[in-house]
Amino acid sequence: MNGLEEFREELETCFGTSCGFCERGCPVYQTLKVKTLCMRGRNRTMLGLLQGRFEITPAVVQAAFECTLCGNCDRWCSLKNTEHTRAFREYLLKHGVEPMKEHSSLLASIKNYGNPWFQPRSARNRWTKGLNISKASPGGPEVLFFAGCTSAVTKPLNRSLVASARLLQRAGVKFATMGQDEPCCGSTLLRVGQTMAFEELSRENMRKFESLGIKKIVTACPGCYTTLKKSVESSGVKIDVRHVAQEISGLVRQGKLDLKRSTERLTYHDPCHLGRLGGVFEEPREIVNAVGTLVEMPNNRYESRCCGAGAGLQSAFPKLSRELATKRVAEARATGATTIVTSCPFCETQLRTVPGIKVVDLMELLLDSAQDVEKGNGNNRKAA
Amino acid sequence: MTYIDELVAVLGREKVLTDPSEKFVYGADWSPRTPDEFVPPDVVVLPRSTKDVQRLVKIAYAHDIPVTAGGGLTGMLGGAVPIFGGIYVDTTTMNAIVEIDPKNQTVRAQAGATLQEVNDAVQPYDLWLPHQPESKWVSTVGSAIACDNDSTFGVRYGKILNCLLSAEIVTGTGEILELGHRKAHFTSSGYKLKDLLAGSEGTLGIITEATLKLEPIPPSRRVDMLVFPRMGAAVDYLSRLLKAGLCIEAAHINCKRRLRFYTHSYKLKHGKDPDIPQWAEALLAIAFAGDVEVVDSHRAHALKIAKEFEAQLVEEREIVDSWWMSKYTLDFEPFKQTWPDSQTKKKFGAADPGVPVGRLEEFYHKFISVAEKHGLEIIGMNAYLAHPNSIGFSLSCAVFVNYRDKDEVRRFREFHDELSRLAVAFEGTMSTFMSDTYQKAPYLELEHGASLKYMREVKRLFDPKGIMNPGKKFGREGAGR
Repeated sequence: MNGLEEFREELETCFGTSCGFCERGCPVYQTLKVKTLCMRGRNRTMLGLLQGRFEITPAVVQAAFECTLCGNCDRWCSLKNTEHTRAFREYLLKHGVEPMKEHSSLLASIKNYGNPWFQPRSARNRWTKGLNISKASPGGPEVLFFAGCTSAVTKPLNRSLVASARLLQRAGVKFATMGQDEPCCGSTLLRVGQTMAFEELSRENMRKFESLGIKKIVTACPGCYTTLKKSVESSGVKIDVRHVAQEISGLVRQGKLDLKRSTERLTYHDPCHLGRLGGVFEEPREIVNAVGTLVEMPNNRYESRCCGAGAGLQSAFPKLSRELATKRVAEARATGATTIVTSCPFCETQLRTVPGIKVVDLMELLLDSAQDVEKGNGNNRKAA
Repeated sequence: MTYIDELVAVLGREKVLTDPSEKFVYGADWSPRTPDEFVPPDVVVLPRSTKDVQRLVKIAYAHDIPVTAGGGLTGMLGGAVPIFGGIYVDTTTMNAIVEIDPKNQTVRAQAGATLQEVNDAVQPYDLWLPHQPESKWVSTVGSAIACDNDSTFGVRYGKILNCLLSAEIVTGTGEILELGHRKAHFTSSGYKLKDLLAGSEGTLGIITEATLKLEPIPPSRRVDMLVFPRMGAAVDYLSRLLKAGLCIEAAHINCKRRLRFYTHSYKLKHGKDPDIPQWAEALLAIAFAGDVEVVDSHRAHALKIAKEFEAQLVEEREIVDSWWMSKYTLDFEPFKQTWPDSQTKKKFGAADPGVPVGRLEEFYHKFISVAEKHGLEIIGMNAYLAHPNSIGFSLSCAVFVNYRDKDEVRRFREFHDELSRLAVAFEGTMSTFMSDTYQKAPYLELEHGASLKYMREVKRLFDPKGIMNPGKKFGREGAGR
């Protein structure tokens, strides 16, 4: 991965162009209206730092970390802005800046527990109880369902994993999980600037996947999705990484599920890592449209606004993070939708902190709809 | 107590930025300046209200501190960047839409609202603010007035002054004044002090709010491009269209070279510049808007007349769409905005003269020879029709400038000065959309002669200590020093 110096020409290009188009969709800038906290200003800060115009100060550190890395600035630009910011964070840590205390605790937890949430490794496996899922092993299934730390160790989010697994089973996908041996994908490390630790973890993960004979990873977490894709691409390992919505939308398209379609107005919140950064927009919408009436928020797909949970913002800048969530929920409510559907454990948790609208996981929504039909139509088929 | 301590005490810590990195961010715009010419402000203030602006100006007045107000910081000639340090006032923190009056088709907005934010707010009422520069996502109401920038739809609606009904300013003494005629479209009463604000560059005061006239959104629009053997033929053609009674919404005459800059996305996609006939020297982009039947009929009539002027319609829609995307829709493919791609090594630099309608072609050839004389890479000329229902145009005479190279920046400035002086000699004006800034200040008298004395007096009346954006329009000494 490139260091900050390697982006110097891009930083100069931004300085030279100065169009400021990144400001319009930047959730942080639109909330705080401080130019140092938007990409044009952040690029300038990085350039000034490289030019030796000023030292690293708390304001410089704030400029680096008060960002969700949502990629909205990239949508309006040809420069790799979120990569600049990641490299900026890495640069600061390399130049003696201590990790933010909130981030330090996340890092310590990843080191000690293999997840950022201080949960024992055994907690990773709780959600699989009763699902009869095999454990990944050489010669076993080639498809790995990668649950991701957050949904696995957070009880209220377990249901989304259960739904994903049941739907994959129904789709006839032969898959395994790594149980409590599932590693952290390293997303948190990457986003808070711990590049070396990330690369080390990433290499180790690729070795593990290869040794288990994994050919395809299906994950329910958009952060894991983009991070694992990045790891796979940089390592050269031949593993296909997919989000569960991509796998399951085929079931819906082929009519393999008897769905009870309701008249409920549902809006879909694109998680940054799945949508703008992962390029997965339509499959989740196909699913939502199959079970209800999809009403779009004005800012959707590439223009979707971040919920505020990403890249360590939630832990280090909770007030701002909450303001971003409040704005997004207000946008959702203005559509007249009763429910926000999303497909990311961070977005789901974050948006639920704002009252006034129901928030559901995409897979839960789909499974519930399928089960309702089975209960109500005299068909005794059980959900797989 | 220093003036910065006073600012913190009066406005609160969160509205006052003093870190060197923060000041660095607010000290530059799009203008070609060498890195060592960069003078960051001494402090950045983020006001939220007119009262905040009044408080900070009163402190600046008491301490004799320069005050430079800015908006989107996309200026092309340094109008809103401080050149003597002092206080930079970021007006974008004041972006509230104060009132929408659909019945009277007006909007009242704080000066820091971007033109896009205004349009987003009024669009549900089927109204729009037709002042639309390419920078509309970032350019603010206040900066559009203070810089008097260009609009894509100038030939139908004019520029911001044609939309401006009233504006609130904080003068150089900290007095709050409302200038204008409320919601009436015009007045014959008093002196039109409001008009002084267009192109004032914050030298008279800081614009804090404005009432703007809105227009109904036209239901449809057709954009076409025609090629002409000469620039003068395109001008004659437009004159003929006006004679015919057609209602043109937008008209831009590009020289052949300039088209390439605006069709960068086409080149990225096809790996080549758009094909236009060898004989074509000028390209006219023209739009009609309104009910479909009206648009179709005006367009058909315009195309019929085109034959009299040896013009040819550009049939490849992708060329037209690529140009229109860069000019207006800004609907760039995700992650592929084309401005940065076209400016990786050098900056866009321009002179903005205005010349009489009959001398466009003559001036175009002068532009080319002056740019070549100064050894600058030519981007080309664009003539924007910017006056309602007339041929009056503003000229963008653009070159690439390597801002890291002191000698090239010097040559760019000489080029700019030479074209400005030439425009006056052509019985025209030195500036049509960038204002004077520090660049034209040394020779402003050339255009304004004895009236410059009156301008200085006007400046002194609004800003007796010469603290408001010093060095712009007048040298600092000419503003009370």
